[in-house]
Amino acid sequence: MSVWEIVELARHPDRPYSLDYFRRLAPDFIELHGDRLSADDPALVGGVGTWHRRTTMFLGHQKGRSLKERVARNWGMMHPEGYRKALRLAHHAAKFGFPIVSLIDTPGAYPGAGAEERGIAAAIAQAIMEWFRIPVPIVAAVIGEGGSGGALGMGVADRVIMLENSIYSVASPEAAASIVWRDNSRKVEAAEQLQLTSREIVGMGVVEEVVPEPKGSASADYDAAARALDEALYRHMKPLLDEPESDLLQHRYDRFRYIDSLVHAEPHFGPKID
Amino acid sequence: MAIAEGRREVAMQGGELPEILLPTNCPGCGIALDTEELRSHNYVCVNCGHHFRLGADVWIPLIADSGSWQERWSDVRSHDLLNWTVPKPYQETVERLLEDGLNEAVRTGTCTLAKKPIWLAAFDFGFVGGTLSIVAGERLARGMEQAASSGTPYVLVSASGGARMQEGVLALMQLAKVNAAVGRLHASGVPFFSVLTDPTFGGTAASLALLGDINIAEPGAAIGFTGPRVIKQATYADLPPGFQSAEFQLAHGQVDMVVPRTELRPLLAHLLEMYS
Repeated sequence: MSVWEIVELARHPDRPYSLDYFRRLAPDFIELHGDRLSADDPALVGGVGTWHRRTTMFLGHQKGRSLKERVARNWGMMHPEGYRKALRLAHHAAKFGFPIVSLIDTPGAYPGAGAEERGIAAAIAQAIMEWFRIPVPIVAAVIGEGGSGGALGMGVADRVIMLENSIYSVASPEAAASIVWRDNSRKVEAAEQLQLTSREIVGMGVVEEVVPEPKGSASADYDAAARALDEALYRHMKPLLDEPESDLLQHRYDRFRYIDSLVHAEPHFGPKID
Repeated sequence: MAIAEGRREVAMQGGELPEILLPTNCPGCGIALDTEELRSHNYVCVNCGHHFRLGADVWIPLIADSGSWQERWSDVRSHDLLNWTVPKPYQETVERLLEDGLNEAVRTGTCTLAKKPIWLAAFDFGFVGGTLSIVAGERLARGMEQAASSGTPYVLVSASGGARMQEGVLALMQLAKVNAAVGRLHASGVPFFSVLTDPTFGGTAASLALLGDINIAEPGAAIGFTGPRVIKQATYADLPPGFQSAEFQLAHGQVDMVVPRTELRPLLAHLLEMYS
């Protein structure tokens, strides 16, 4: 399979989305809405459900399948209100001691004038910083597209895993092509350079595990994909449930603080410690 | 009045600024530029107030008291992790910039400002667009950790296009790495003053630059998440004049103040006094 074919699989309109997984992981899932400031961002769904006999907070980007739903969900691209909603629900989870599962599936944060006017950069910055203070276990999974800061704004967790045919990237191939070549039609070349496939990302030490998808990819069998994701998510979540709060937060800090340590190990790169 | 008088005692430059490459005429108002006059005026046009972009080599003497700068981790080097070859090999780009005397997109160290010790980090837009890289992130995070543990105020000057494409997802991870450290800095009670200069975008705006206790923008600086070219491409929207300017960000609640560069250093000195 070529890199571009993987990108297309990750973006495939038949691919299961966050709500498809939530309803299989926790059939009693109850959706919660709103940032309690001004709006509800439909590109980010959240809610509570019983998962392995424990009330769990589920958060995830949601794309739409029909054109109408895609427009309503803004293609899974969050506005500032979405990040504020996510933080509100994270604090809600912390109050009740619910662990958090976050599913990532976005081309990026919404690149529009309204998002800029309402402070999208600061909303993402605040979210990334705040996740380090949420004192409950968080496991995140990239289930489709992990695009840029818009994805990372939902991707600070104690463990991060990826579905086999998903991608995780500093920018979408189109955006990277536009930045590097000023020509977004060179997206295929950009995708190849970016090393955004799950195999490459796990090799860099950025995610803990790649979850194999059923034959024919996740699109072919939602139930089997959900079972595989469920098993992997819970295997990573389970040991975190017993970790004291201070250890949990220190380990989350260290996970990202030294996430590039495989690179730092290069002898000419300079010492890690002062 | 006491404040204004207090500020006037602090010079607008910590030491002598190096010469920089300048056009013959001001891009703001078109007058012929007097290099010496401009240099003594913090590279702000005396006629129209146009702020010229400065590298870290100018920002450091502008802010730091003369002779107080102690650079840290300047030997940490970036290298090609992704085997990036097109349109040009990343390794070559980095080596050429190092030969030109630039040292990565962020330089950091300790110094004093009006005799008060601070940690200072300055982005360098000349180094691959001031992009956040592993080295830049490492210098920022280490400095913030040390500022937090030593109780030293942290001053940041940003000018950046965002995360560095050529370092792929590891560049993206720098947002989390740096913000983890910003969180520790805030938790420690140390003041963090963030100066946003032209341009500050993408992953840099979406991480540390807008998380200062006080965000100070330079007049006319472009600040935002997505650049105007990409917004137009994605949404076909016409953007109003002044969109994403420092003044726009002030009106939209993202920065505390827009301050001319000639008043920056006395202001920082006064803030350090108030927040110590």
